[in-house]
Amino acid sequence: MTTTIGIDVGTGCIKTVLFKVNGDQIEWVARRNDKIRQRDPMELTRRAFDEVIEEAGLTEADIDYIATTGEGENIPFSTGHFYSMTTHSRGAIYLNPESRSVLDMGALNGRAVKMDEKGKVLTYRMTSQCASGSGQFLENISRYLGIAQNEIGELSKKADNPEDVSSICAVLAETDVINMVSRGISASNILKGIHDSMAGRLVKLLRVIKANEGVTFLSGGLALDEGLTASINEAMVKMKVQGKAVSHPDSPYGGAIGAAIWGAYRYDKLAAQGSDLAKAS
Amino acid sequence: MSTAEIIARCEELYEDTTFAASRAWKEAEPGRKVIGFMPVYIPEEIIHAAGMLPLGILGGGDELEVIHGDAFYQSYICRIPRSTIELGLTGRLDFVDGMLFPSICDVIRNLSGMWKLMKPGIYAKYFDVPQNYRDDIGGKYYQQEMQELRHDMEKISGRKITDEAISNSIKIYNEHRQLVRDVYALRSAEPWKVPSSEVYLLMRAGMVLPVEEHIPMMQAYIAAAQEEDRPMRDNCRVITTGAFCEQPPLNLIKSIEMSGCYVVDDDYMMVNRWLMEEVPTEGDPIKNLADAFLHHSADSSAKYSDTQEKVGQYLYDSVQKNKAEGVIFAAPSFCDPALLERPLLAAKMAENKVPHISFKYAENSGQMQPIREQTGTFADSIKLWGKEI
Repeated sequence: MTTTIGIDVGTGCIKTVLFKVNGDQIEWVARRNDKIRQRDPMELTRRAFDEVIEEAGLTEADIDYIATTGEGENIPFSTGHFYSMTTHSRGAIYLNPESRSVLDMGALNGRAVKMDEKGKVLTYRMTSQCASGSGQFLENISRYLGIAQNEIGELSKKADNPEDVSSICAVLAETDVINMVSRGISASNILKGIHDSMAGRLVKLLRVIKANEGVTFLSGGLALDEGLTASINEAMVKMKVQGKAVSHPDSPYGGAIGAAIWGAYRYDKLAAQGSDLAKAS
Repeated sequence: MSTAEIIARCEELYEDTTFAASRAWKEAEPGRKVIGFMPVYIPEEIIHAAGMLPLGILGGGDELEVIHGDAFYQSYICRIPRSTIELGLTGRLDFVDGMLFPSICDVIRNLSGMWKLMKPGIYAKYFDVPQNYRDDIGGKYYQQEMQELRHDMEKISGRKITDEAISNSIKIYNEHRQLVRDVYALRSAEPWKVPSSEVYLLMRAGMVLPVEEHIPMMQAYIAAAQEEDRPMRDNCRVITTGAFCEQPPLNLIKSIEMSGCYVVDDDYMMVNRWLMEEVPTEGDPIKNLADAFLHHSADSSAKYSDTQEKVGQYLYDSVQKNKAEGVIFAAPSFCDPALLERPLLAAKMAENKVPHISFKYAENSGQMQPIREQTGTFADSIKLWGKEI
């Protein structure tokens, strides 16, 4: 039995999970999802790590491998770091074994990854650095409209005449939204327009990586937005990308789950090689 | 002294584009002279034997703003000649009594000509090294080239350079080369104790300090690194290659390591590692240096290989010796020697099933995120999907 912790340091939240892995038996023991909110991510990560261990009734010495992902390269107590496309792919397979591609939709950028049935990355594409396809953009717009983030999905689904929003630039898109508000466009139609614009950018990535089989798993912080999920499925039909985009209640943990499972895999491999790293832990 | 204290000093030297340490050395005694040299290799012993300071000039790095230098070269040319021109035109090298431009590529050859036009009163030489490794051809030629350099150094220093003085300098540089090999061997054995960014800064310090100061600095670093306890991480072992002339920014070197790679061999600061074995201190010192160059020097893309089979063999040998799991080809944009040979080296790695990736940089590259993503996913693929899955 290998006990691992996966820590996904995102731009908005830090997700921490604890797993026990024994071959194909994978048990999810504990979890935390902490919003950073101007706090020191290093301190927050350490606190989350300690609390997850406590919740599992374990001590630090019981942890075989601490795997970070996202922006967690500098976490000083980690055993190893894995990159987001690697971890979100494995997390997707864990949460939905039919997954053959992932849309990781985080606070700052979006990423489409195509993988095989074991979570091995085959190819990937990212959005450009402009924030208009990201969670941060959506959060800003909802704040301007005075809408709580958890209301966005429901409101978007009620839209009857969505407005076109620029998908090129966040600044242009924000200007579009200000104009719409002054023209008296409903929040539902504005939000649906934004969802459609974001979905268009994300599905383009799926088309580039030829994600034409199995389930496209929605991962990351935006995956629980039902309005965006609906827009992505509509865009997939429109842009002739086969398959279906599916979310999961634990989608935000996708990266952390993948990190923990890959951490267990690495630990077992290192132990088999007689590595000092496995002996030390 | 701790590694942190030693590296802080090295970083201070690295960041100083006014070369204050070398200026201070020159001003400490009247009559002292400084000879600058560009990458990749120069027989420093001849400069040292004349009582002068060999000063390694590796461009302006990412802090120097190039204003005048851009007027001398097309925009697509690598950055090191432009930033070196900038160093020259802004007075940062006004204390240098001569400049050597070793044979590496056409751009650096042109730079030697520009230097002569820019600084008419200052000695500047294009130092050609042999491309033929037979003793009776390349060896004879190289000895003549070094004798000419010896004569020039005598004129600048105003001091006769005896065979004995060169042999003494060879002895000191032998000690230096051994310590360089020790640092690299320690990093290969325990890379978590010796980060590649620290090795790089330590080697860079040797470019501006007298060899007599750099030797104890390396000794102190090795002792401190062995003593200190640093956590081991689950990183893969890689070799970086292609960066022997224009140097990558320090952040790039740190980013490769941060992304999950332990760099177990590299080709930065080749001047420190060009001669791979101890050079004899008995007999004709010029012949000894020539023999070492012909028969015991490091292979790289900066050196001619006379048969197709030999191309890249050194890299594969290093992969095996250092137990590397992958190779990162990192070369400056427009670097003729590195980029022309890269496909041949990559083919050699593919033939031997060594995973590899490649990217280009400039000494002032600022965006590290794409490089971290690329090297990080490369490290992931080595760690997770080697052959088992």
